[in-house]
Amino acid sequence: MDWLLDPFSGAIGRRALVEVILLGLACGPLGVWIVLYRRSYAAESISHGMLPGLVLAALAGVPLLLGAAGGVLLCAAAITLVARDERLGGDVGVAVAVTALFGLGAMLALAPAVPPRLEELLFGDLLGVSSGDLMAAGVLAAAVAVALAVAFRPLSLVAFDAASARSLGAPPGRWQLALLALLAVTTVVVVQGLGSLLVVALILAPGAAALNVTGRLPAALGLATWLAALAGAAGLVISHHLAVAAGASVALCAVAEWVLSLLAWRMHAPSPPSTALPADTFAQAR
Amino acid sequence: MQRALVEVLLLSVTAGVLGSWIVLRRLAFYTHAIGTAAFPGLVLAVPWGIPAQAAALGTALGFAGALDRLTRSGRAATDAATGLLLVGFFAVGVVLASDVFEAGAGVDRLLFGSLLGVSELDLWLTAAAAVGALALNAALWRPLLTAGFDPSAARALGVPATTADWLLLVAIACAAVVALEAVGALLVIGVLVMPAATVRLVARSVPELQIATAALAALQGVAGLWLAATLNVGPGPTISVLGGAVFAAAALFLAGRRRLAR
Amino acid sequence: MSRGGSRLVEVSDLGGGYAPGAEALSDTSFAVEAGMILAVLGPNGGGKTTLFRALLGELPIRRGHVEVRGRPAYVPQTERARLDFPVSAVEVVLMGAYGRTAWYRRVARADRGAANAALERVGLADRAGVRFGQLSGGQRQRVLIARALMQDAAVLLLDEPLSGVDTASAERIETLLSDLRGQGRAVLVATHDVDQARRWDRVLCLSGRQVAFGPPAETLTTSVLRATYGAELVELDDGRYGVRVDHHSHGT
Repeated sequence: MDWLLDPFSGAIGRRALVEVILLGLACGPLGVWIVLYRRSYAAESISHGMLPGLVLAALAGVPLLLGAAGGVLLCAAAITLVARDERLGGDVGVAVAVTALFGLGAMLALAPAVPPRLEELLFGDLLGVSSGDLMAAGVLAAAVAVALAVAFRPLSLVAFDAASARSLGAPPGRWQLALLALLAVTTVVVVQGLGSLLVVALILAPGAAALNVTGRLPAALGLATWLAALAGAAGLVISHHLAVAAGASVALCAVAEWVLSLLAWRMHAPSPPSTALPADTFAQAR
Repeated sequence: MQRALVEVLLLSVTAGVLGSWIVLRRLAFYTHAIGTAAFPGLVLAVPWGIPAQAAALGTALGFAGALDRLTRSGRAATDAATGLLLVGFFAVGVVLASDVFEAGAGVDRLLFGSLLGVSELDLWLTAAAAVGALALNAALWRPLLTAGFDPSAARALGVPATTADWLLLVAIACAAVVALEAVGALLVIGVLVMPAATVRLVARSVPELQIATAALAALQGVAGLWLAATLNVGPGPTISVLGGAVFAAAALFLAGRRRLAR
Repeated sequence: MSRGGSRLVEVSDLGGGYAPGAEALSDTSFAVEAGMILAVLGPNGGGKTTLFRALLGELPIRRGHVEVRGRPAYVPQTERARLDFPVSAVEVVLMGAYGRTAWYRRVARADRGAANAALERVGLADRAGVRFGQLSGGQRQRVLIARALMQDAAVLLLDEPLSGVDTASAERIETLLSDLRGQGRAVLVATHDVDQARRWDRVLCLSGRQVAFGPPAETLTTSVLRATYGAELVELDDGRYGVRVDHHSHGT
C-alpha cells in the first residue's frame, strides 16, 4: 500500500495527482466524442501545431496557458484556411501547415542562447504544476466537462445520423465546430502537464478504450473519465518508482488501457475476415 | 557542410520520386507516423550499438505492421488507431530516453535531425534509398498510376495493385528512415511531402510532378541549409518552415490568379 | 469450365455480402449469352454493384456459383475516378492494356495505337492529351469506356454509364453498346432507366435478391417494378414509370 501512496506523500506529487484527475474530467468524455466523430487527426494536428505559441510564451516569460491558447488559435486558423481549398488535397495541406508550424516552434526554441526548456514543452512538466496552474486547469476542465454534459443530446444526434440531425434541431456543422472548440480548450489545459507531443494520448486513449468495452454511450462517457484519472494516477506511480518522465508515463498508461481494451474485445468477438489490405492505410486519408 | 549538401541533393531524388506518390495517394499522415514511430528505435540504437537507420526501420516497420493488424480486424477506427499507436510508440521512446539521455541535447538531435553531422554511412544509405526509389518507381509505375487514379477498377484491370501498394508503403518507410537522420523524426514531412505538395498545385502529369519536385526539394534543401547557417539554427526545422512558406506562397498566388481570372 | 459455348456469364443461386450475417445479395440466377445486352435494374444498395463485384471476383461468395468468360472489363461510375489526378485521357485509356503487359516490359506499340483507335471510336481523338479531370462528365464516361474497349474482353460491366451524361455522349455510348453486342460480346449495364432497359435483350431486377430475369416484355411489368423499387417508383403522366434516384446514397 505504501508503494502506491509514496508518490503522493509530498506536495508536488499531490498537486500532480489533482492535476491529472482534473484533466481526466475533461479528457475522458471528450475523447469518446472525438473518436466517434473520427477527429483523431484534428487532435493530433492541433497539439503539434501549437508549439510556436508555447515557445514564444516560454521565451517571453508569459504564462504557458496564454501561449498555448495563442498557439492553438493560430494553428486552427491555418488549418481552416488550408482545409477550405479542395485542391490542396485536404490532409496533405493540413500536414504541411502543421509541420511548418511545428518546425517554426522548434526553430524558435533551438535558436536562442537560453533555450526555453524544449523538453518540457514537448513532453510536459507534470511535476512542476503550481497551485495557480491547478486552479486554471480546474476551471477549464470543469467548463469542458459541463459543456459536454449539456451538449450530450445534440452531440449524439450528429454523431449517429448527421443526415437527419438537422431536422431534429441539431445542425451538424455547428456541433462539429463546438466539439473542435472544446478540443482546443482541452488541449490548452492538458499541454502543460503532458506536453505538445503526448497530449493526444490522454485525450484519445481513455475514450477509445471505453468505447471498446461498452457499446452504450453514457456508460462509455463515464468509464472514460475513470480510465483517464486512473491512467494519470498509475502513470504518476510508475514515474516515481522507475524514475522516468511523468508525462510519458501517464501517456503510456493511457495507451496501455486502450491496448488492453482491444484484447478484451478480441476475446468475445472473433474478427471477421477482411479482404482489405493496404487500402485501409490509403482510406484513412479521406 | 559539404556532406550536408550532398545529403540534401540525394534526398531530393527520393523526395521527388516517392514524395509525389505520397501526395497523390494521400499518404502524408502515414509518412509522418512512420517517422515519429522510428523514435524509440533511434533512442535504443546508441546503447545497443546498432546503426540508427536499422533500429529506426525496425520500429517503423513494427509500427506499420501493428497498425495494419489493428485496422484489418476492423474494430479500431483507422484514424484513432494511428494516432494512439503513434503516441504510444513515442511515449515508449520518451521513457527510454529519460534513462538513456541525461542531457536534453541528444533527444533534440533525434527529433529535429542533425543534418550538419551526417556521416558517410548516412550518405551511402541515402544514396541507396534514392536508387531504390527510382527502381521501384520504374518497376511499379503502371500499378501505382492505375491504383492512384481509380482504386475500384485497378484490380479489375488486372494490375498487381495490392502488391504495388504494399511495396510503396515499405519504400516510404525506408525513405522516412533516411530522411530522419537529416531532419529529425518529427519533420520528415518537410522533406518528403512539402515540395511535392507545392508542385502538385500546378503539375499536369506525374513525371512532371516528380522531376519538378526533385528540383524544388533540392532548392529548398540548399536554401534551408544556408538560412539555418545564417540564423544559427538547426537546418531540419528551417527546411520545414521554408517548405511551408513556399507552399503557402504558391497556394496564395494561384488562388489570387484564379480570382482575377473570374 | 463453361458448359454452353455461347454463355459468357453464368450465375446460379448466388448469395454473398460484405459483413457476416448481412447479405447484400441472395438467390440470384441468370445467364448472359454472347451478343446480348443485359440491363440490371434496382435501387441503390439493392445489389447491382455487389453483383458486379462478384462477377469481377472481388467479393467473397457465400453460396452459389459464378462463371465468367475471361476477365470482364469494368466501367465504373465516373465519380469513382480521381478528377484531380494528373493523367491525360489517352493515359487513362492505355491503362486497359496494363493487364496484359508483363511488369518488366514497356507497353507494346500496338497497344499505344489501339489506345488512340479506342479514343476515336468514342469520338474523343482530339482530346487525347487533355487532363482527365478537365473533361465533361460525358466525355469522362466515354474515356472510361474506351479503356474497357482496350481490354478486348468478352464480358463488359458498365455501372450506370448514361446517368448525368449529355445527349451527344449518350447517343454515342448507346451506339457503342450495340456495336459491342454485334461483336458477340456480353454487356451488362446497371441502370435506373426503365425505358432504356426496354430496348435491350434481357433485364435482371435486383433488390437484395433477384426479383425477375428475362426479356423486357416479361420483366418490366408494373408488379415487378414495384417489387424492385418500392417507394422509389414514380408513375409518369403517360403511364410509363420512372425511378426517383438519389445519387448521394451509394449503399454498396
